[in-house]
Amino acid sequence: MHIVLKEVARSYFVGKEKIEAVRNVSLEIKRREFISIVGHSGSGKTTLLSIIGGVARPTSGTVLFEDNDIYFFDKDRLSEYRCERIGFIFQFASLLPNLTAKENVLLPVLFKTHGNRDIADSEKKAIELLHRTGVGDKVNAYPSQLSGGQQRRVAIARAFINDPEIILADEPTGDLDEETEMEIMLFFRRMNEEAGTTFVMVTHNSELVRTTGRQLKMSNGLISTVLHE
Amino acid sequence: MNRFNLFTLAIKNIQRKKFRTGILVFSITLIVSVLVFGVSFILNVNSGVRRASDRLGADLIVVPVGARGYAEEVLLESKVKSFYMNKNVIERIKRIEGIDTVTFHTYITTIQGVCCDIPEATVVAFNQGSDFIVQPWLEKAIGRKLEKNEAIVGHESFLNIGMGLMDAMLFGTRFRIMGALEKTGTGLDNAIFMSDENIEEILQKGKAPLKPDVISIIFAKVQKGYDPYNVGRSIEGEVIEADVMARSDIGKDIISVLGDINMIFSITVFMASILSVLLAWAIFSATVNERLREVGVMLALGAKESHVSKLFFIEVFFIGLMGSVCGVVFGTTLSVLLMKSFTILKNLPGGLNAVDRAAIGVAGFVTGTGICILGAFSPIQRIKKLEPLAVIKGELA
Ligand SMILES: Nc1ncnc2c1ncn2[C@@H]1O[C@H](COP(=O)(O)OP(=O)(O)O)[C@@H](O)[C@H]1O
Ligand SMILES: [Mg+2]
Repeated sequence: MHIVLKEVARSYFVGKEKIEAVRNVSLEIKRREFISIVGHSGSGKTTLLSIIGGVARPTSGTVLFEDNDIYFFDKDRLSEYRCERIGFIFQFASLLPNLTAKENVLLPVLFKTHGNRDIADSEKKAIELLHRTGVGDKVNAYPSQLSGGQQRRVAIARAFINDPEIILADEPTGDLDEETEMEIMLFFRRMNEEAGTTFVMVTHNSELVRTTGRQLKMSNGLISTVLHE
Repeated sequence: MNRFNLFTLAIKNIQRKKFRTGILVFSITLIVSVLVFGVSFILNVNSGVRRASDRLGADLIVVPVGARGYAEEVLLESKVKSFYMNKNVIERIKRIEGIDTVTFHTYITTIQGVCCDIPEATVVAFNQGSDFIVQPWLEKAIGRKLEKNEAIVGHESFLNIGMGLMDAMLFGTRFRIMGALEKTGTGLDNAIFMSDENIEEILQKGKAPLKPDVISIIFAKVQKGYDPYNVGRSIEGEVIEADVMARSDIGKDIISVLGDINMIFSITVFMASILSVLLAWAIFSATVNERLREVGVMLALGAKESHVSKLFFIEVFFIGLMGSVCGVVFGTTLSVLLMKSFTILKNLPGGLNAVDRAAIGVAGFVTGTGICILGAFSPIQRIKKLEPLAVIKGELA
C-alpha cells in the first residue's frame, strides 16, 4: 500500500468554536492509483490533501507512507518527504513573483537532499515540463507577464520537477479553459501510466471525475466512495 | 546566465526593494566609517606616543616639579615651552643607585624680532659631553660635534624655516646653521640644537629669558638589572624639586585625555550600533512579513528551515558586506585625509601601517556585518517556523 490514512481528523478552533474540517477519515491509496475527490466548498478537501502532503498535522490519527508514520518524522525528514516524494499543486496562486517560469519550476530542486541535484540537468527537465504543460514559450517570463491559467500551468510543471511518487492536485484545472484542461488531464494520465505516479486530485469537473480510477466524495469532513448507478 | 541556486535567489531578493536596502546599507556604512575613523585616530595617537618616547632613548626623564605636562608637550607635540630647575640636580641624580648615564637639555624659547630672526621655536642647548639623545642624529647629519656658535635644525623646523638658511641670529649671537637632522619622529623635530657651551654668552647678552645655572630636563639611562620605576621612585625621594617619568609613562597625559575621548567614542558607537541593529530588525521584519506567502510556498514545496534561514542570511550578509566595505573604505580614507588636521597628531611620528589598517578594517567589517545579522536574527527565526498550511489554503494571498 502506498499511503494509508487511519482515522485521521483535523479540527480548527475559531475562538471557542471548534470546526471539524476532517473527521475520522480512513483511506488506502495504492501505488499508481488515480483518485479524484469531489465535494462542496468547505467540505475539507484541501485540509485532507495537506494532511497527506505532510503540511498539516492531523489532530488525531496516523498517515502512513510506505508503512512509516510521516508525522513521526523529524522536521527535516518531513521536509524531505514533501520535497522528494510529493508534488503539490496548490489551489491558489503560488509562484514566486521575482523568479521566471523556469526558475519557479526549478525551485524544489534547491531543496532536494537526495538524488540528482545537478541544476543543469534539472534545467533541461524544467523546460521540457513547461513544454508539456503548454507554456514552453514562456520559459523566461515572470509571473506578472503570465495569465492566471499560464501561471497555473507553471505551478503544475513545478510539481513534477523532483519526480514525485504522488501528485496532490488541489483543483489544478480550476482556472483553465476546457481545451487546456483536457491537455493537462492527458499529461496527468500519461504520467500516471508511464511514470507510475500516484494521483490524488480535487476537482469540481464531473467529466474529469468519470475518467479517474476511483472517485471519492467529501462532505462535512467525511469521505465516501462514489458509486455509479 | 547565472546558475540558479540559493545564492542567486538571495541576490535576486536583495534587488527587490532597492531603496529600503539602500537605507540599511547606508546606515551600516555610516556606523562602520565612524568606527574605523575613531579607532584609527585612537590607535594612531597611542602608537605615535609610544614610538616617540621609544626614540628618545632614555629610561627616565626628570623634569621640574609640575612640568611633566610641559615636557610632554615639548617632546611629543613640538610645543614651545620653557621650564627650569637648578643644575645641581644632575649631580644628585648621578649619585642615586641604579643610574647609568645622565644627560640634560636646557630649553630656551626664541621670540621673533626681539632676540632672534627666526619664527618662534624651542632652542635646545645640550651637553655634548654626555649626550645620547641628539648624538646619533648629529652623527648622521654632519659626522662631528657642534662647535661654539654653530647650530643645527630639526627636520621639521628645517622645512619651516626654509632651505638655504646659512646663519641665524639667536639671542643676540649669530649662529652658523650647519644643516638639518633627519626626522626623529619626536617633538624635537621642530627644535634648533646648539651646544650648551653657548649658554654663557647668551646669558651675557641678556636677550634670552634665562637665568644662570638652570637646566630644563634630565635624561637618564638605568643600569642593567634595575627596574626604572624603582630608580625613578628613589629619584623622587631624593630630589623633591623634580618629577620623574619612566619611558612608558611618557605621554600618559595625552593618553589619558585619549582615554576620555575613547570612552565618549565607545559609548557613541555602541548606541549607534544599537540603533543600527534596531533598524536592521525593523527592515527585516517588514521584508519577512512581505514574503510570508513565498516562504510558505517554499516550505510546502519541501524547503527545510535551514534553507529558509540560509536564504535570508545570505541576503543579510550581503547587505552587511556592502555597508561594511563602503564603511571601511570611507572611514579609512577619512582618517588618512584628516589625520594631519588634528593638532594632537600633527607632530606624532609614524601613523598606522597597512597591517594596522587592515586589522581595523576587519574589525569594522565584522561589526557592520554583525549588526546586520543581529538585527535580522529574530525575524528570520520567526519566518522559518511559519506554518505553510495557511498559504496552501490561500489565507495569505
Ligand atoms: N485555518 C482555519 N481556521 C479555521 N477554520 C478553517 C481553517 N481552515 C479551514 N477551515 C475550515 O475547515 C473547513 C474545511 O476547509 P477546507 O479544507 O479548505 O475545505 P475545501 O478545500 O473543501 O473547501 C471549512 O469549514 C473551513 O472554514
Ligand atoms: Mg479547498
